[in-house]
Amino acid sequence: MYLGRIMGNATATIKHPSMKGTRLLLVMALQADGKTIEGDPILVIDQLGARKGELVVITSDGIGAREMLNDKQSPVRWSAIALPDQTTWGPAH
Amino acid sequence: MRIGDVIGSVTLNRWHPALAGAALKIVAPLSWENLAGDFERRLEEIVVLDELGAGVGCRLAVSEGREAAMPFYPEVKPIDAYNGAILDTLEYEIPEHLKPKRG
Amino acid sequence: MFIAQVTGSLVATQKVGAMKGFKMLVVEPYRLDPQNRNQLAPSGRSLVAVDTIGAGEGEFVLITQGSSARLTPETKNLPIDTVIVGIIDSVNVGNATVYQKDQ
Repeated sequence: MYLGRIMGNATATIKHPSMKGTRLLLVMALQADGKTIEGDPILVIDQLGARKGELVVITSDGIGAREMLNDKQSPVRWSAIALPDQTTWGPAH
Repeated sequence: MRIGDVIGSVTLNRWHPALAGAALKIVAPLSWENLAGDFERRLEEIVVLDELGAGVGCRLAVSEGREAAMPFYPEVKPIDAYNGAILDTLEYEIPEHLKPKRG
Repeated sequence: MFIAQVTGSLVATQKVGAMKGFKMLVVEPYRLDPQNRNQLAPSGRSLVAVDTIGAGEGEFVLITQGSSARLTPETKNLPIDTVIVGIIDSVNVGNATVYQKDQ
């Protein structure tokens, strides 16, 4: 799991049916200094109503994503699982 | 899912039976620098299984790893990259330090 | 998945039980040449892959990596993470054919 910053969002009409009605967020995963980028841009599914600019916890657990979408055939791997109100993590402190 | 642009396609001469009839696209994955408009460095291209009919120029959400094979569950197929969505829009703001420098 | 060229073969008499009877090949991943995107370029990296379809040295193949490599009836019980799933006939980028297998 990573702490990341929500940088934007995506929409798609033509997609795997498991993602119908689900928001897609563009997340920048961050390293310990809160600035250095971890990896490439990631699209995650979100059912928490996260907004641009907010911090988010994302996970790559596909089983969780398939449960969230209630679809055993979903190709989704990344999902938003928490929106921290508070953290003692450096940059947000 | 990573984000990538369809730039081409691959055809097979022989294949594992699980890939019979599969449409395979060459996708250029996008980095944060690329999203900021800087294409000097590009990530390694990948081959993506496409069931949505994406053409060259389409921007995709690509599912990678074990999850790429889940659309075929309970069948198993040796697939590690799958086109999950053809993006209509991708809206974002890029932090200042990632934007291409002028001059 | 990604494109690679078969650069060698290997024979091992000593191997773990599950691997008995399986052919391993050495492959080099290829990508689009960053300087000239109308041709393929070698990556310099080298991987060992299990071959399920009878690929030969010099051929360009399609590789699946990670836990998806186990998602075939032949490889499901093998301790492997890289498998050859196709032999490439052609690679097309934009309107150009950047690779075509000899007929």
